[in-house]
Amino acid sequence: MTSKVKSTFIYIFLGIVTVVSVFPLLWMIIAATNKSVDVIAGKLTFGTYIAENYQNLIAQQPLWSSFLNSCKYTILVTAFALIVSSLAGYAFEIYRDKAKEKIYVVVLMSMMIPFVALMVPLFRMYSKLGLLNSAVGFMLPSLATPLLIMMFRTNAKAFPIDIIEAARIDGLSEFGIFLRMYIPSMKSIFAAAGVVTFMNAWNNYLWAKVIMSDNTTQTMPMLISNLISGYVTDYGMLMLAVLITTIPTAIVFFALQKYFVEGITGSVK
Amino acid sequence: MKKRIVSVLVVAAMTVGMLSGCGSSEKKSSEKDENTLTVWAWDQSFNIYAMKEAEKVYQKDHPDFKLNIVETGWDDMQTQLGTIVGAGNYDKLPDICLMQDFAYQKYVTTYPDLYQDITDCGVDWSEFAEGKLAASTVDGKHYGVPFDNGAEIACYRTDILKQAGYTIDDLTDIDWNRFIEIGKDVYDKTGYSLLSVQADSSDLIYQMLQSAGFGTWTEDGKPDLAGNENIKQCIEIYEEMKDANVLNVVNSWDEYVATFTSGKTAGVINGCWILASVQTAEDQSGKWALTDMPALPGVSSATNYSNQGGSTWAITQNCKNTELAEDFLASTFAGSTELYDTILPKSGAIATWLPASESDVYNEPQEFFGGQAIYAQIADFASKTPSVDLGVYYTEANKALATAIANVSGGSSIDSELKTAQETVEFNMNQQ
Repeated sequence: MTSKVKSTFIYIFLGIVTVVSVFPLLWMIIAATNKSVDVIAGKLTFGTYIAENYQNLIAQQPLWSSFLNSCKYTILVTAFALIVSSLAGYAFEIYRDKAKEKIYVVVLMSMMIPFVALMVPLFRMYSKLGLLNSAVGFMLPSLATPLLIMMFRTNAKAFPIDIIEAARIDGLSEFGIFLRMYIPSMKSIFAAAGVVTFMNAWNNYLWAKVIMSDNTTQTMPMLISNLISGYVTDYGMLMLAVLITTIPTAIVFFALQKYFVEGITGSVK
Repeated sequence: MKKRIVSVLVVAAMTVGMLSGCGSSEKKSSEKDENTLTVWAWDQSFNIYAMKEAEKVYQKDHPDFKLNIVETGWDDMQTQLGTIVGAGNYDKLPDICLMQDFAYQKYVTTYPDLYQDITDCGVDWSEFAEGKLAASTVDGKHYGVPFDNGAEIACYRTDILKQAGYTIDDLTDIDWNRFIEIGKDVYDKTGYSLLSVQADSSDLIYQMLQSAGFGTWTEDGKPDLAGNENIKQCIEIYEEMKDANVLNVVNSWDEYVATFTSGKTAGVINGCWILASVQTAEDQSGKWALTDMPALPGVSSATNYSNQGGSTWAITQNCKNTELAEDFLASTFAGSTELYDTILPKSGAIATWLPASESDVYNEPQEFFGGQAIYAQIADFASKTPSVDLGVYYTEANKALATAIANVSGGSSIDSELKTAQETVEFNMNQQ
C-alpha cells in the first residue's frame, strides 16, 4: 500500500515536471500555426495560419540561406572540434610529462575567461587576417574547446594501457593506435562531445553576430534576433522560425541520445 | 577499417573545399563598389523598408546607385559598434547606420571619431523640428539626418468610452487630474483600465516630464533626480493612477502590447510608433480614436505634447564616399516628399522633415481610426513638442528611475528612492 502511495506521488511529481518542461515546446509548435494577435492573446489550440506565417517569413528574411549557413558552419565546427580535441585529450593522457601537464593547466584555466573579454582582441586579429564574414572565422575560436579536451582526456584515462602496448608490439603506429583502437572504443564519448559541440555551434550567436556583418553570411540565431528587433514583433512568424531552428538540434540529439547518456556517464566499462 | 580512414579523408577534403569556397566568395562580397553604400538598420517593415524606397527614389537620377542593407538589431548594433571601435577596425563600419535618438549624445561624446560632422552637407536644417534635431546635434554640429518621429499620442477605444458616457473630445487637451477622474469612472462603469504600462520602465515618467519641457539633468550635465519636484509629481500621478485601477501595470513588453491588442485596456499613450502595434488588432478597426496626451497639472510650462523614441541616420567615419552618402540623405530623407508619401501609408513612418507633412497623404482619413486624419494630427503634435536634452547618460538615468518607481510601488518613499537613483547614476557616470 505504502509503495503504491509512494509511486503515485512520484508519478504526480514527474507529471508536473514533464508538463513544465514540455509545455514551452508544445506552445512553440502551436504558436507557429497561429496569427500574431492570437499568440499574444494566449490561444492554446492549433490554428490554420502556418502557411501565411511561412510566406511572411520567407518574404522578409533569407530563411533557407541562413539555414544552410547554420548547417554548414555547425558541421564544420563539430567535425574539426572533434578531431582537434580528441587528439589533444588523447595525447595529454597517453604521452604524459611535466611540460604537458603545465600546458594542460593553462588550457583548463582558459575555461574561466568569459568570451566577452576575448571578443575585441579576437575581432582585431580576425579582421587583420581577413577572416571576417567567413566560415573559418566562425569556427576557429571553438575548435579547441577546453571542455572537450578535458572530456577526451578523462575518458582516455579509462582506456586500458595494455591495449596500447599490445598494439605497439604488433607494430601499429602511434596514430594508428589512436585511429583504430581508441576511436572505435570511444564511440559514445564522440557522440556526447558531438552533440554538445553541435548545439553550441548551432546556437552560437554573439560571435556570429560580431564577425558576420553581411546578409549572405547570416545564421539562424541572427535571423531570429532580427525578427524581434523591429518595432512590431510578429509572434506567429517568430515561433515558426524558432521551430525551424529547433528541428536540427532535436534530430541530432535524438539520433545520438543513446550514446549521449553513455558518454556523459563514462564509456569504457 | 580502411573504409573508415578513407571516409575521414573524404570528409576532410570536402570541408577544405567548402572552406576555400567560402574564402573566395567573401572576397567578392567585400569588394567595395564606388556607387554602393552599406547601411545598418533594424526593422524590415519600417526603417529598412524606408531605406529601400529611398534607394529607389535616388536611383531615378543616379541609375548606378545601390544600397547594401544589413539588418542589425539595436542591441546587436551596440555590441558591434563597441567591438569595432574597441578594436580600432573602423573599416568594418557601415557607411550609414541608424541610431536611436536617446543614445546619440552618448555615442558622439564617447566615440568622437565614430560619426562624421555633416553640418555643411547641403541639408536645410531649419526644415526639421527643433526638438527632433536636438538629439543628433552636439556643440552646434549636426551628426545625423533625422528619420522617424516619436511624437507622443494618446489613443482610446471609443466604444468603451461611449459605454461610460465619454467621447474622445472629453480626453482631448486635458490634464492628468481630469484623466484620473475619467479613468476612475470608466473603470467603475466598464471594468476597463484606461492605460497600461510595462512595470520595469520609466518611459511614461519621461514622457510626462518632457511634455512640460523638464529633463533629468542640470545645466552642467549632472543628474538632477534627488529632490526633483517635477519627477516627484509625475511618480505621484503614476501611483495614484495605479491605485485607482486607471493604470494597469504588466510585467513585460509582450503583455503590454497584449493589453490593447486583445482588448483588455481602453487606451494607449506612447510614441507614435506604437500605432503599428495597435493596428495589428484588425478586429478593432474603426473603434479607435487619436488625440493628444494629458498635461501636467499646475505647471506653467505644461503642454499636451511629448516625445518617445525616434531615430536618425548617421554617416560613419568609414564612409569613403562621403559626398555620395551626404547627397543621398539630403535628397531623400531631407528632400523628397515623394519618399515620405510612399512610406507613410505602408509603414506609418511619420516624417520629421516638415515639408513632408504638407502633403495630401498626411490628410487622408484612416479607417482604423474611424476616418480620422491621424497623420496630419501627429505631425502637428510633433511641431509643438518641447525640446529636452536627454543627456549623454540617458540609459543609466532611465534604468535608475525605473528601479525607483518599482520600489515606490513596493512601499518606499519617493524622496529616498530618488536619492538612491541619483547615487546610482552618479556611480555609473564615474565608472565610465
